Amino acid sequence: MKHPVQGCGIGLRFQHIDQIVDRKPPIPWLEILTDNYLLPGSVQQDYLLDIAEHYPLTFHGVGMSLGSTDPLDTEYFSRVKALVERVNPVWISDHLCWTSVHGLVTHDLIPLPYTEETIRHAAQRIRQAQELLERRLLIENVSSYLQYQQSALSEWDFLCAVAEEADCDILLDVNNIYVSACNHDFDPLAYLNAIPVERVREIHLAGYEDRGTHLLDTHGYPVSDAVWALYAAAIQRFGAIPTLIEWDNNVPELDTLLAEAHKAAKVQAHVFA
Amino acid sequence: MSLPELQHRLMEAIFDRDKREAAAILVKSHGALDAVQRVGIYRNSVHGILLQYLGSLYPVCQQLLGEAFFEAASDRYIDQSPPTRPFLAEYGAGFAAFLLQHPSLSGMPWIADVAHLEWARHQAWNAVNQAPSDFAQLAGLDEVQQESLTLHTPNSACLLQSDYAIHAVWLAHQPEDHSEKLLLERIELQQPTTVLVWRTGRRLQQVLLSQSEWAFLTAIQQRVTFPELAEQFQEQLPALLMTAIRQGWLLSFE
Repeated sequence: MKHPVQGCGIGLRFQHIDQIVDRKPPIPWLEILTDNYLLPGSVQQDYLLDIAEHYPLTFHGVGMSLGSTDPLDTEYFSRVKALVERVNPVWISDHLCWTSVHGLVTHDLIPLPYTEETIRHAAQRIRQAQELLERRLLIENVSSYLQYQQSALSEWDFLCAVAEEADCDILLDVNNIYVSACNHDFDPLAYLNAIPVERVREIHLAGYEDRGTHLLDTHGYPVSDAVWALYAAAIQRFGAIPTLIEWDNNVPELDTLLAEAHKAAKVQAHVFA
Repeated sequence: MSLPELQHRLMEAIFDRDKREAAAILVKSHGALDAVQRVGIYRNSVHGILLQYLGSLYPVCQQLLGEAFFEAASDRYIDQSPPTRPFLAEYGAGFAAFLLQHPSLSGMPWIADVAHLEWARHQAWNAVNQAPSDFAQLAGLDEVQQESLTLHTPNSACLLQSDYAIHAVWLAHQPEDHSEKLLLERIELQQPTTVLVWRTGRRLQQVLLSQSEWAFLTAIQQRVTFPELAEQFQEQLPALLMTAIRQGWLLSFE
């Protein structure tokens, strides 16, 4: 196959797999959570191969741990590569953060300190990951709830410098920008305006939870009005690039998820009318 | 501080509540939250992800223990045995043993066997697919071939033996109606049980086995040859063999 990825897609979740396999609803593209499909010869991979016949797919992972100081996990990368070779996703992404170190794995996205040292470290690891996979990667900005004492750069300067030095692309999560902007008091538009247009290949949207003291990126709610407004600003800058709705907690009916993707398409249509 | 040291401090705080202060030194206090609370958000987030995963793996244990107890137990388990691999589906194998050792659960020794059953279901779902043999060819084997014939259960097949009615307890917590389903309070818990869990295609299956079925499948998993099966099961063998093939308990032979 390979249809190019266009328009507004959704993240594929187990709750909807049977429905998608059986009904094959019109969805421009689907993004899989790579880490859920890494058991070779498993029933999950069966489903995925079925789905890959009907939809363009992109891979989105958590396990690369691109910012970790442990060596890259060669077994993880070899399983990802084997799946990439079977399914041929349009592109592969993971996060600019670390998820594991000293042999322990959090399965969560922990931010890096924004320093020159970390730029070199993360960029070198991303280059190594790209070489292992023989693919260009998209790296995604994460939501954060803390700032390190030693951080000397803004998050956006850090992201831009890593992408430049690694020569990789960017998956810009607009919800994550908004969440971090509220948690750390920065201007989300300043973030958007710093990102080089030519590197952004995909946008993520999701819903956060307001915990009173901070916003938590739970992917458990509809996209908020403030994030829709920021999204409109983002596509004015980056163009009508592929946009994906992520929903991981309180996963709703497929139709609700598709309605969110449709809403993103309407925002695009409105901005570019 | 070097990046490895910074990551080490954070990781310690994520899997040990008492280490949050040591990690908070690295973090700015800001707005409504101090540095310890900010580190705590990550500890809670990681534990939340793993709690949700363990709940999806052990839904019957979660219902039996109640959400609050299950969450507290998971928290302890996660700190004691944090994940060590990026493949989440491998995590949680030791939860049954953890429950068995849990001081508050000494009056509920059967809960660990329910956890074993739920882990077996998880393993069966994740087992590697295999191509089945054509059992019609069995009839055409000559005596020499029969001498060395062995039968195989699917990779997904897991035989479980318990002193307790784990299948009935599991069934009592399923939303669907089932002819064997009883309310939990009507189940005689002290009841030796043999269960098979396996997967056929995209369908996960679970069945109570009779003593002879259990013995037959156990012998097969021990790679006993066909003549030894004939010796052990005598006149029962044709019926056992037919049931096992028809139910999908046997997948292949060599």
